[in-house]
Amino acid sequence: MTANAPRSIADYLRQLRAELTGEDPALIQDALYDAEEYLRAEVAAHPDKTEADVLVMIAATYGTPAEVANAYRETEIRVKAALRTPHANHTAVISHSGFFGVFLDARAYTSLFFMLLSLATGIFYFLFAVTGLSISFGCAALVIGVPFFLMFMGLTRVLSLAEGRLIEAMTGERMPRRPAYPGSAQGFWVRIGLMLKDPRTWTTLAYLLLMLPLGLAYFLIASLGLAVSLSLIFAPLFAAAGRWNWVGGDAWSLEPSWIGSLWALPILVALGIVLLALVMHLARGIGRLHAGFAKAFLVSRPRLANA
Amino acid sequence: MDDSNSQKFRKDLNGGLVALVLLSVLDRSAEDLYGYEIAKRLASANEGTSIFKEGTIYPVLRALSADELLTSRIVPSYAGPPRRYYRITARGRLVLAQWRSIWRDARDFVDRFAPPEESSP
Repeated sequence: MTANAPRSIADYLRQLRAELTGEDPALIQDALYDAEEYLRAEVAAHPDKTEADVLVMIAATYGTPAEVANAYRETEIRVKAALRTPHANHTAVISHSGFFGVFLDARAYTSLFFMLLSLATGIFYFLFAVTGLSISFGCAALVIGVPFFLMFMGLTRVLSLAEGRLIEAMTGERMPRRPAYPGSAQGFWVRIGLMLKDPRTWTTLAYLLLMLPLGLAYFLIASLGLAVSLSLIFAPLFAAAGRWNWVGGDAWSLEPSWIGSLWALPILVALGIVLLALVMHLARGIGRLHAGFAKAFLVSRPRLANA
Repeated sequence: MDDSNSQKFRKDLNGGLVALVLLSVLDRSAEDLYGYEIAKRLASANEGTSIFKEGTIYPVLRALSADELLTSRIVPSYAGPPRRYYRITARGRLVLAQWRSIWRDARDFVDRFAPPEESSP
Protein backbone atom coordinates (compact mmCIF):
# COMPACT_ATOMS: atom_id res chain seq x y z
CA MET A 1 0.00 0.00 0.00
CA THR A 2 2.71 2.44 1.00
CA ALA A 3 4.73 1.41 -2.04
CA ASN A 4 2.31 3.13 -4.41
CA ALA A 5 1.00 5.85 -2.11
CA PRO A 6 -0.36 8.73 -4.22
CA ARG A 7 2.07 11.60 -4.75
CA SER A 8 -0.21 14.08 -6.50
CA ILE A 9 -3.89 14.99 -6.52
CA ALA A 10 -4.35 13.45 -9.97
CA ASP A 11 -2.64 10.31 -8.66
CA TYR A 12 -4.94 10.14 -5.64
CA LEU A 13 -8.06 10.61 -7.77
CA ARG A 14 -6.86 7.92 -10.18
CA GLN A 15 -6.43 5.46 -7.32
CA LEU A 16 -9.79 6.39 -5.81
CA ARG A 17 -11.43 5.82 -9.19
CA ALA A 18 -9.71 2.45 -9.46
CA GLU A 19 -10.94 1.50 -5.96
CA LEU A 20 -14.50 2.35 -6.97
CA THR A 21 -14.41 0.36 -10.23
CA GLY A 22 -17.76 -1.30 -10.82
CA GLU A 23 -19.71 1.15 -8.65
CA ASP A 24 -22.42 3.37 -10.05
CA PRO A 25 -20.84 6.08 -12.29
CA ALA A 26 -22.86 8.74 -10.45
CA LEU A 27 -21.43 7.64 -7.10
CA ILE A 28 -17.91 7.71 -8.55
CA GLN A 29 -18.46 11.25 -9.81
CA ASP A 30 -19.64 12.38 -6.36
CA ALA A 31 -16.74 10.70 -4.55
CA LEU A 32 -14.12 12.19 -6.90
CA TYR A 33 -15.71 15.60 -6.56
CA ASP A 34 -15.64 15.52 -2.75
CA ALA A 35 -12.07 14.23 -2.67
CA GLU A 36 -10.90 16.92 -5.05
CA GLU A 37 -12.55 19.66 -3.00
CA TYR A 38 -10.77 18.45 0.12
CA LEU A 39 -7.38 17.81 -1.50
CA ARG A 40 -7.22 21.16 -3.26
CA ALA A 41 -8.28 23.00 -0.09
CA GLU A 42 -5.61 21.10 1.87
CA VAL A 43 -2.90 21.93 -0.65
CA ALA A 44 -4.01 25.58 -0.67
CA ALA A 45 -3.91 25.65 3.15
CA HIS A 46 -0.23 24.59 3.17
CA PRO A 47 1.50 26.95 0.75
CA ASP A 48 4.88 26.13 2.33
CA LYS A 49 4.66 22.45 1.41
CA THR A 50 4.77 20.74 -1.96
CA GLU A 51 1.79 18.79 -3.28
CA ALA A 52 3.67 15.53 -2.65
CA ASP A 53 4.33 16.46 1.00
CA VAL A 54 0.69 17.33 1.58
CA LEU A 55 -0.40 14.01 0.07
CA VAL A 56 1.76 12.17 2.57
CA MET A 57 -0.38 13.62 5.38
CA ILE A 58 -3.60 12.93 3.47
CA ALA A 59 -3.53 9.22 4.24
CA ALA A 60 -3.68 10.02 7.96
CA THR A 61 -6.28 12.80 7.77
CA TYR A 62 -8.60 12.28 4.79
CA GLY A 63 -7.91 8.56 4.51
CA THR A 64 -6.34 6.35 1.83
CA PRO A 65 -8.23 5.89 -1.45
CA ALA A 66 -9.28 2.43 -0.26
CA GLU A 67 -10.71 3.75 3.02
CA VAL A 68 -12.57 6.57 1.30
CA ALA A 69 -13.97 4.21 -1.35
CA ASN A 70 -15.25 1.96 1.44
CA ALA A 71 -16.94 4.86 3.21
CA TYR A 72 -18.85 5.78 0.05
CA ARG A 73 -19.84 2.20 -0.65
CA GLU A 74 -21.16 1.69 2.90
CA THR A 75 -23.00 5.01 3.12
CA GLU A 76 -24.58 4.39 -0.27
CA ILE A 77 -25.87 1.00 0.84
CA ARG A 78 -27.30 2.48 4.08
CA VAL A 79 -28.94 5.43 2.29
CA LYS A 80 -30.35 3.18 -0.42
CA ALA A 81 -31.77 0.83 2.17
CA ALA A 82 -33.33 3.78 4.04
CA LEU A 83 -34.80 5.33 0.91
CA ARG A 84 -35.97 2.11 -0.71
CA THR A 85 -38.18 0.75 2.07
CA PRO A 86 -41.45 2.09 0.65
CA HIS A 87 -40.64 0.82 -2.84
CA ALA A 88 -39.97 -2.67 -1.54
CA ASN A 89 -43.69 -2.90 -0.79
CA HIS A 90 -44.58 -1.80 -4.29
CA THR A 91 -42.48 -4.48 -5.92
CA ALA A 92 -44.08 -7.07 -3.66
CA VAL A 93 -47.52 -5.94 -4.80
CA ILE A 94 -46.49 -6.06 -8.45
CA SER A 95 -45.19 -9.58 -8.26
CA HIS A 96 -48.47 -10.64 -6.68
CA SER A 97 -50.92 -8.97 -8.99
CA GLY A 98 -49.00 -9.22 -12.26
CA PHE A 99 -50.10 -7.18 -15.25
CA PHE A 100 -52.42 -4.76 -13.42
CA GLY A 101 -49.96 -4.30 -10.55
CA VAL A 102 -48.55 -1.44 -12.60
CA PHE A 103 -51.42 0.71 -11.28
CA LEU A 104 -49.88 0.50 -7.80
CA ASP A 105 -46.36 1.38 -8.95
CA ALA A 106 -45.48 4.99 -8.22
CA ARG A 107 -42.68 4.79 -10.81
CA ALA A 108 -45.21 4.23 -13.60
CA TYR A 109 -47.09 7.42 -12.67
CA THR A 110 -43.94 9.51 -12.30
CA SER A 111 -42.59 8.15 -15.60
CA LEU A 112 -45.85 9.08 -17.30
CA PHE A 113 -45.57 12.56 -15.81
CA PHE A 114 -41.97 12.79 -17.00
CA MET A 115 -43.10 11.90 -20.55
CA LEU A 116 -45.70 14.67 -20.52
CA LEU A 117 -43.25 17.16 -19.04
CA SER A 118 -40.49 16.31 -21.49
CA LEU A 119 -42.21 18.21 -24.28
CA ALA A 120 -41.72 21.45 -22.32
CA THR A 121 -38.18 20.64 -21.15
CA GLY A 122 -37.30 19.32 -24.62
CA ILE A 123 -38.32 22.55 -26.33
CA PHE A 124 -36.49 24.61 -23.70
CA TYR A 125 -33.26 22.55 -23.92
CA PHE A 126 -33.29 22.66 -27.71
CA LEU A 127 -33.78 26.42 -27.85
CA PHE A 128 -31.13 26.90 -25.16
CA ALA A 129 -28.56 24.76 -26.97
CA VAL A 130 -29.23 26.20 -30.43
CA THR A 131 -29.22 29.81 -29.22
CA GLY A 132 -26.11 29.34 -27.11
CA LEU A 133 -24.20 27.56 -29.85
CA SER A 134 -25.12 29.99 -32.60
CA ILE A 135 -24.28 33.07 -30.51
CA SER A 136 -21.01 31.44 -29.41
CA PHE A 137 -19.98 30.71 -33.00
CA GLY A 138 -21.26 34.05 -34.21
CA CYS A 139 -19.23 35.95 -31.63
CA ALA A 140 -16.20 33.65 -31.75
CA ALA A 141 -14.13 36.33 -33.46
CA LEU A 142 -15.23 39.08 -31.05
CA VAL A 143 -13.98 39.81 -27.54
CA ILE A 144 -17.20 38.65 -25.90
CA GLY A 145 -17.19 35.32 -27.78
CA VAL A 146 -15.08 33.38 -25.30
CA PRO A 147 -16.70 34.61 -22.06
CA PHE A 148 -20.13 34.03 -23.59
CA PHE A 149 -19.19 30.49 -24.61
CA LEU A 150 -17.87 29.78 -21.10
CA MET A 151 -21.05 31.09 -19.51
CA PHE A 152 -23.07 28.97 -21.93
CA MET A 153 -21.08 25.84 -21.03
CA GLY A 154 -21.45 26.59 -17.32
CA LEU A 155 -25.21 26.85 -17.69
CA THR A 156 -25.19 23.63 -19.72
CA ARG A 157 -23.61 21.83 -16.76
CA VAL A 158 -26.19 23.25 -14.37
CA LEU A 159 -28.98 22.11 -16.74
CA SER A 160 -27.45 18.66 -17.01
CA LEU A 161 -27.33 18.37 -13.21
CA ALA A 162 -30.94 19.57 -12.90
CA GLU A 163 -32.09 17.12 -15.57
CA GLY A 164 -30.28 14.39 -13.66
CA ARG A 165 -32.09 15.29 -10.42
CA LEU A 166 -35.42 15.27 -12.30
CA ILE A 167 -34.67 11.85 -13.81
CA GLU A 168 -33.66 10.41 -10.44
CA ALA A 169 -36.89 11.70 -8.89
CA MET A 170 -39.01 10.32 -11.74
CA THR A 171 -37.37 6.98 -12.51
CA GLY A 172 -35.29 6.17 -9.42
CA GLU A 173 -32.09 5.90 -11.47
CA ARG A 174 -29.09 7.11 -9.44
CA MET A 175 -27.77 10.33 -11.02
CA PRO A 176 -24.95 12.63 -9.83
CA ARG A 177 -25.65 14.91 -6.89
CA ARG A 178 -22.65 17.07 -7.73
CA PRO A 179 -21.58 18.70 -10.96
CA ALA A 180 -18.62 17.11 -12.68
CA TYR A 181 -15.41 19.05 -12.24
CA PRO A 182 -12.81 18.82 -15.01
CA GLY A 183 -10.14 18.84 -12.32
CA SER A 184 -7.16 20.92 -13.13
CA ALA A 185 -5.22 23.75 -11.54
CA GLN A 186 -3.72 24.70 -14.90
CA GLY A 187 -4.24 27.98 -16.67
CA PHE A 188 -7.38 29.41 -18.13
CA TRP A 189 -6.71 28.40 -21.75
CA VAL A 190 -5.62 24.88 -20.79
CA ARG A 191 -8.92 24.46 -18.97
CA ILE A 192 -10.91 25.60 -21.98
CA GLY A 193 -8.92 23.19 -24.13
CA LEU A 194 -9.64 20.32 -21.72
CA MET A 195 -13.33 21.18 -21.67
CA LEU A 196 -13.41 21.13 -25.49
CA LYS A 197 -11.61 17.77 -25.51
CA ASP A 198 -13.93 16.27 -22.91
CA PRO A 199 -16.41 14.06 -24.80
CA ARG A 200 -18.98 14.68 -22.05
CA THR A 201 -19.21 18.36 -23.08
CA TRP A 202 -20.42 17.29 -26.51
CA THR A 203 -22.63 14.42 -25.41
CA THR A 204 -24.38 16.81 -23.00
CA LEU A 205 -25.06 19.23 -25.86
CA ALA A 206 -26.26 16.34 -28.02
CA TYR A 207 -28.60 15.29 -25.22
CA LEU A 208 -30.09 18.79 -25.00
CA LEU A 209 -30.71 18.78 -28.76
CA LEU A 210 -32.09 15.23 -28.84
CA MET A 211 -34.56 16.04 -26.09
CA LEU A 212 -36.73 17.94 -28.58
CA PRO A 213 -37.63 14.96 -30.84
CA LEU A 214 -37.64 12.60 -27.84
CA GLY A 215 -39.80 14.91 -25.76
CA LEU A 216 -42.19 15.30 -28.67
CA ALA A 217 -42.43 11.53 -29.11
CA TYR A 218 -42.86 10.92 -25.35
CA PHE A 219 -45.56 13.56 -25.13
CA LEU A 220 -47.43 12.14 -28.14
CA ILE A 221 -47.26 8.56 -26.84
CA ALA A 222 -48.36 9.54 -23.34
CA SER A 223 -51.15 11.93 -24.35
CA LEU A 224 -52.52 9.68 -27.12
CA GLY A 225 -52.42 6.60 -24.89
CA LEU A 226 -54.12 8.42 -22.03
CA ALA A 227 -56.76 10.01 -24.28
CA VAL A 228 -57.77 6.76 -25.97
CA SER A 229 -57.79 4.57 -22.86
CA LEU A 230 -59.54 7.14 -20.64
CA SER A 231 -62.23 7.86 -23.22
CA LEU A 232 -62.89 4.10 -23.48
CA ILE A 233 -63.10 3.81 -19.69
CA PHE A 234 -65.55 6.70 -19.48
CA ALA A 235 -67.63 5.54 -22.47
CA PRO A 236 -70.65 4.68 -20.23
CA LEU A 237 -70.66 8.26 -19.00
CA PHE A 238 -70.76 9.58 -22.56
CA ALA A 239 -73.48 7.12 -23.49
CA ALA A 240 -75.60 8.11 -20.49
CA ALA A 241 -75.03 11.79 -21.16
CA GLY A 242 -76.15 11.33 -24.72
CA ARG A 243 -79.19 9.25 -23.85
CA TRP A 244 -80.58 11.42 -21.05
CA ASN A 245 -79.35 14.68 -22.45
CA TRP A 246 -77.24 15.68 -19.36
CA VAL A 247 -75.13 18.15 -21.22
CA GLY A 248 -78.01 20.31 -22.32
CA GLY A 249 -78.63 21.75 -25.74
CA ASP A 250 -79.40 19.38 -28.54
CA ALA A 251 -79.47 15.70 -27.70
CA TRP A 252 -76.32 14.01 -29.04
CA SER A 253 -75.60 10.40 -29.74
CA LEU A 254 -72.49 8.28 -30.12
CA GLU A 255 -71.44 7.12 -33.57
CA PRO A 256 -71.66 4.33 -34.54
CA SER A 257 -74.79 3.76 -32.51
CA TRP A 258 -73.79 0.28 -31.22
CA ILE A 259 -71.26 2.03 -28.93
CA GLY A 260 -74.08 3.17 -26.68
CA SER A 261 -75.67 -0.27 -26.48
CA LEU A 262 -75.59 -2.13 -23.19
CA TRP A 263 -73.62 -5.13 -24.40
CA ALA A 264 -70.83 -3.00 -25.86
CA LEU A 265 -70.17 -0.74 -22.88
CA PRO A 266 -68.60 -3.33 -20.52
CA ILE A 267 -66.33 -4.50 -23.33
CA LEU A 268 -65.24 -0.94 -24.06
CA VAL A 269 -64.53 -0.27 -20.37
CA ALA A 270 -62.52 -3.49 -20.04
CA LEU A 271 -60.60 -2.63 -23.20
CA GLY A 272 -59.89 0.84 -21.79
CA ILE A 273 -58.53 -0.54 -18.53
CA VAL A 274 -56.28 -3.02 -20.35
CA LEU A 275 -55.08 -0.26 -22.67
CA LEU A 276 -54.38 2.05 -19.72
CA ALA A 277 -52.34 -0.69 -18.04
CA LEU A 278 -50.41 -1.15 -21.28
CA VAL A 279 -49.74 2.59 -21.44
CA MET A 280 -48.46 2.55 -17.83
CA HIS A 281 -46.18 -0.40 -18.60
CA LEU A 282 -44.92 1.42 -21.65
CA ALA A 283 -44.31 4.58 -19.59
CA ARG A 284 -42.33 2.65 -16.98
CA GLY A 285 -40.28 0.98 -19.71
CA ILE A 286 -39.61 4.25 -21.49
CA GLY A 287 -38.67 5.84 -18.16
CA ARG A 288 -36.06 3.13 -17.58
CA LEU A 289 -34.72 3.35 -21.13
CA HIS A 290 -34.52 7.11 -20.96
CA ALA A 291 -32.71 7.01 -17.61
CA GLY A 292 -30.09 4.73 -19.17
CA PHE A 293 -29.80 7.04 -22.14
CA ALA A 294 -29.45 10.13 -19.93
CA LYS A 295 -26.80 8.40 -17.85
CA ALA A 296 -24.78 7.52 -20.93
CA PHE A 297 -24.93 11.09 -22.22
CA LEU A 298 -24.80 13.25 -19.06
CA VAL A 299 -22.61 11.35 -16.59
CA SER A 300 -18.89 11.22 -17.26
CA ARG A 301 -17.57 7.77 -17.92
CA PRO A 302 -14.67 6.70 -15.75
CA ARG A 303 -11.73 8.04 -17.71
CA LEU A 304 -8.08 8.42 -16.88
CA ALA A 305 -7.41 11.55 -14.88
CA ASN A 306 -5.62 14.20 -16.85
CA ALA A 307 -1.92 13.89 -16.38
CA MET B 1 -2.23 -7.39 18.08
CA ASP B 2 -5.96 -6.68 18.17
CA ASP B 3 -5.64 -4.00 15.54
CA SER B 4 -8.29 -5.40 13.19
CA ASN B 5 -10.65 -5.98 16.14
CA SER B 6 -10.27 -2.38 17.29
CA GLN B 7 -10.74 -1.14 13.77
CA LYS B 8 -13.93 -3.08 13.32
CA PHE B 9 -15.26 -1.93 16.70
CA ARG B 10 -14.45 1.68 15.86
CA LYS B 11 -16.16 1.38 12.46
CA ASP B 12 -19.33 -0.09 14.00
CA LEU B 13 -19.34 2.60 16.65
CA ASN B 14 -18.77 5.45 14.20
CA GLY B 15 -21.71 4.48 11.98
CA GLY B 16 -24.17 6.80 13.71
CA LEU B 17 -21.80 8.93 15.79
CA VAL B 18 -20.34 10.73 12.77
CA ALA B 19 -23.83 11.83 11.75
CA LEU B 20 -24.55 13.01 15.33
CA VAL B 21 -21.30 14.99 15.51
CA LEU B 22 -21.84 16.58 12.07
CA LEU B 23 -25.35 17.68 12.99
CA SER B 24 -24.04 19.14 16.28
CA VAL B 25 -21.24 21.05 14.57
CA LEU B 26 -23.65 22.58 12.05
CA ASP B 27 -26.17 23.30 14.82
CA ARG B 28 -23.57 25.30 16.79
CA SER B 29 -22.12 27.13 13.82
CA ALA B 30 -23.53 30.58 13.12
CA GLU B 31 -22.64 30.46 9.42
CA ASP B 32 -22.86 27.77 6.74
CA LEU B 33 -19.87 25.45 6.53
CA TYR B 34 -18.37 23.41 3.70
CA GLY B 35 -16.92 19.94 3.92
CA TYR B 36 -13.28 20.88 4.35
CA GLU B 37 -14.06 23.44 7.06
CA ILE B 38 -16.10 20.91 9.02
CA ALA B 39 -13.34 18.34 8.69
CA LYS B 40 -10.76 20.82 9.99
CA ARG B 41 -12.92 21.84 12.95
CA LEU B 42 -13.26 18.22 13.97
CA ALA B 43 -9.56 17.61 13.46
CA SER B 44 -8.54 20.58 15.63
CA ALA B 45 -11.05 19.53 18.29
CA ASN B 46 -9.60 16.08 18.77
CA GLU B 47 -5.97 17.22 18.57
CA GLY B 48 -4.60 14.94 15.93
CA THR B 49 -5.99 11.71 17.40
CA SER B 50 -8.39 11.18 14.56
CA ILE B 51 -11.35 9.12 15.72
CA PHE B 52 -12.47 8.90 12.11
CA LYS B 53 -10.92 9.75 8.77
CA GLU B 54 -12.02 13.08 7.37
CA GLY B 55 -12.83 11.46 4.03
CA THR B 56 -15.67 9.55 5.66
CA ILE B 57 -17.64 12.67 6.59
CA TYR B 58 -18.41 13.67 2.99
CA PRO B 59 -20.68 10.72 2.15
CA VAL B 60 -22.42 11.17 5.52
CA LEU B 61 -23.02 14.86 4.77
CA ARG B 62 -24.62 13.87 1.48
CA ALA B 63 -26.76 11.23 3.17
CA LEU B 64 -27.97 13.76 5.79
CA SER B 65 -28.72 16.17 2.98
CA ALA B 66 -30.72 13.50 1.13
CA ASP B 67 -32.73 12.93 4.33
CA GLU B 68 -33.46 16.69 4.43
CA LEU B 69 -31.72 17.13 7.78
CA LEU B 70 -29.33 19.54 6.03
CA THR B 71 -29.72 21.94 3.14
CA SER B 72 -26.85 23.01 0.96
CA ARG B 73 -25.86 25.56 -1.64
CA ILE B 74 -22.95 25.67 -4.06
CA VAL B 75 -20.49 28.55 -4.04
CA PRO B 76 -17.69 28.90 -6.63
CA SER B 77 -14.16 28.72 -5.23
CA TYR B 78 -10.75 29.72 -6.56
CA ALA B 79 -8.97 26.88 -4.78
CA GLY B 80 -10.73 24.09 -6.67
CA PRO B 81 -14.17 22.81 -7.53
CA PRO B 82 -17.18 24.84 -6.31
CA ARG B 83 -17.78 24.27 -2.60
CA ARG B 84 -20.99 22.96 -1.16
CA TYR B 85 -22.00 24.84 2.00
CA TYR B 86 -24.24 23.04 4.47
CA ARG B 87 -26.77 24.36 6.96
CA ILE B 88 -28.97 22.44 9.41
CA THR B 89 -32.74 22.43 8.77
CA ALA B 90 -35.56 22.69 11.32
CA ARG B 91 -36.13 18.96 10.85
CA GLY B 92 -32.41 18.43 11.42
CA ARG B 93 -32.58 20.27 14.77
CA LEU B 94 -35.53 18.12 15.83
CA VAL B 95 -33.72 14.92 14.90
CA LEU B 96 -30.55 16.15 16.60
CA ALA B 97 -32.41 16.67 19.88
CA GLN B 98 -33.73 13.10 19.71
CA TRP B 99 -30.31 11.68 18.80
CA ARG B 100 -28.68 13.57 21.68
CA SER B 101 -31.02 12.04 24.22
CA ILE B 102 -30.47 8.59 22.68
CA TRP B 103 -26.73 9.15 22.88
CA ARG B 104 -26.92 10.28 26.54
CA ASP B 105 -28.92 7.20 27.46
CA ALA B 106 -26.51 4.93 25.61
CA ARG B 107 -23.45 6.60 27.18
CA ASP B 108 -24.90 6.35 30.70
CA PHE B 109 -25.78 2.73 30.10
CA VAL B 110 -22.30 1.87 28.86
CA ASP B 111 -20.67 3.81 31.70
CA ARG B 112 -22.54 1.75 34.25
CA PHE B 113 -20.84 -1.44 33.00
CA ALA B 114 -17.59 -0.07 31.65
CA PRO B 115 -16.79 3.00 33.77
CA PRO B 116 -14.47 5.41 32.01
CA GLU B 117 -12.29 6.03 35.11
CA GLU B 118 -11.49 2.34 35.50
CA SER B 119 -7.69 2.39 35.56
CA SER B 120 -5.59 -0.47 34.35
CA PRO B 121 -3.42 -2.14 37.03
